Amino acid sequence: MTPKGVSLNPNSRKTKFARRFLCALSQMRNPRPVSSSNDEEVRKRSHKIKIAAYLSMARTVGSRRAWSRALLFKLRTRARRHNMMIGRRSLCLKKKRVIKNDPQGELSQTNKLRHLVPGGKTMDMCSLLEETAHFVTCLATQVKVMQTIADHFDK
Amino acid sequence: MQPCSREMQGMNSLLNPPQISLQDLHNQQPQIQNSQIHHHQHHQVQNSHFDPTSQEDFLEQMFSTIPPPSYSWSDLNPTNLTKTAWELKPRDLSDESVPSNHDNNNVAFQFDDDSTLVSKLQNHQISGSAKSASAAAAAAAALMLQQHLLMSRGVSGTGAGESGLIQMPLSLGSDDVVDGSSSFKSANPGGEGSVQALYNGFAGSIHAPGQTPNQAQHFHHPQGQNYGAPGAVMNQAPASGSAGSAPAQPRQRVRARRGQATDPHSIAERLRRERIAERMKALQELVPNANKTDKASMLDEIIDYVKFLQLQVKVLSMSRLGGAAAVAPLVADMSPEGGGDCIQAGGGNGGSLGGRSSSSNGHQTASSNDSLTVTEHQVAKLMEEDMGSAMQYLQGKGLCLMPISLATAISTVTCHSRNPMIGNINHHSVLQSNGGEGPSSPSMSVLTVQSVTVGNGSGEAPVKDATSVSKP
Repeated sequence: MTPKGVSLNPNSRKTKFARRFLCALSQMRNPRPVSSSNDEEVRKRSHKIKIAAYLSMARTVGSRRAWSRALLFKLRTRARRHNMMIGRRSLCLKKKRVIKNDPQGELSQTNKLRHLVPGGKTMDMCSLLEETAHFVTCLATQVKVMQTIADHFDK
Repeated sequence: MQPCSREMQGMNSLLNPPQISLQDLHNQQPQIQNSQIHHHQHHQVQNSHFDPTSQEDFLEQMFSTIPPPSYSWSDLNPTNLTKTAWELKPRDLSDESVPSNHDNNNVAFQFDDDSTLVSKLQNHQISGSAKSASAAAAAAAALMLQQHLLMSRGVSGTGAGESGLIQMPLSLGSDDVVDGSSSFKSANPGGEGSVQALYNGFAGSIHAPGQTPNQAQHFHHPQGQNYGAPGAVMNQAPASGSAGSAPAQPRQRVRARRGQATDPHSIAERLRRERIAERMKALQELVPNANKTDKASMLDEIIDYVKFLQLQVKVLSMSRLGGAAAVAPLVADMSPEGGGDCIQAGGGNGGSLGGRSSSSNGHQTASSNDSLTVTEHQVAKLMEEDMGSAMQYLQGKGLCLMPISLATAISTVTCHSRNPMIGNINHHSVLQSNGGEGPSSPSMSVLTVQSVTVGNGSGEAPVKDATSVSKP
């Protein structure tokens, strides 16, 4: 019974993210059996997990970054709208999904990047690149941690 | 201001294509005004062709300014507001007289030589280069031109004039660039001085792109430099002419000055471009397959990488269905198993932790250590009773329960494998994390403390740990 110290850097982004994500996962209690072959349910669950991953990552980063703020805002409004729409028959939900088609029919590279990075639509090129760099590092951490967790549980 | 006005006229005429014969222009003053109109119309086109086309215009204007016509300044004001550097540079030169020893004899330009001169100029122009690219031809033309000019002046002018003409370029050549330009600015515009300045500037402009081996080079270089400097001072956007002349010669100083002196827009643009380049470099290091060549391809690479990462998250979230299911029952069905395998994964979804984190952010390690042990014991007690309450307690504390193996794996996530090393599994590990919402202080003390085993104190085999953890 020798104490063995597993040292996790408490200030590391990945630790914080892991913490939050695992908690989100644990809170995602599925009373139904796991092996639900229903595609719709599987899709919904995976979507929830994905949202939880992004949410926990954004929360880990906090409000320091423009992309995390934009992401949190987007998720919150979406959740709010979803909650409100659940009561009514979600009519407006589909309408909001209309994407404005680019008149040229081809997005420039900068525009593509703006669409990818949350909150990138209202940024100038300089800060867009900065946010992209930070976003890429956070995404990479997120992927690594999720991969670890998945590997661990799939063993 | 009359000399200035005259020079302005001359400058405007410089932009004119060689459609109007010099003789006509300088013989008939009214025609100069017409030429101005032509100049204005054509100067846009002729910006890049300033050097050779200016030769004849310049000279004829120089000659025409000797008899003082009274042109109003308003006539000279170009209708188009886009004054090019070339347009104003001559004016600057005209405003500033050469400080060197030019005497009135220099003014004695012989108009009878004008035609010969002009013809020679035209020949040179035709033979020479229209752009700064063919520097050698322009240099040769300039050299020949200078020689012709000197010869013509020597023939018709006085010796003093000739010497003065020669002396001035020499003196200008010896001047420092800064001094030359300052002297240009400081000198009073005199008729002769302006003419000389015009000539020098003109010759320098001819020679701007090229390089001559002999003293003419000295003469032309400072001329060209000084020629360019006032233009920069005039806050003109560096037109193609000036920009074309700059890189061809080693004019570091002038370039710097020009860069500083030009309008703040270009400086701001340069700063912006530099910042963007910096950030692109930083992104290059992040993104694999850093293709350093092209900005566009780099952007494509970045976009692809971001899409790839997002796709990976999506795929992992789908494969995580097993994981989520595993975590939930793991948390719920803790009781009989050696719950010692598990580390409590805590911290609610952040929202509830806000207040708590702020309070606990101050002291990270010390207090967390103490509180950790306290928490541990409490958790151990709770776990003996009921897993659910223990979980609730932990969640209230902002703790997280996760298997040690997972914690190990996460800590070494860069080299994670499918079989994470399972260390000593007999122990609880309590992971305490205190909120992370504080934007200013990202302090979260996560400590794993080994506690006494709960439940069966027997050492548990790794296999058991694996099986217990992976139980769906």
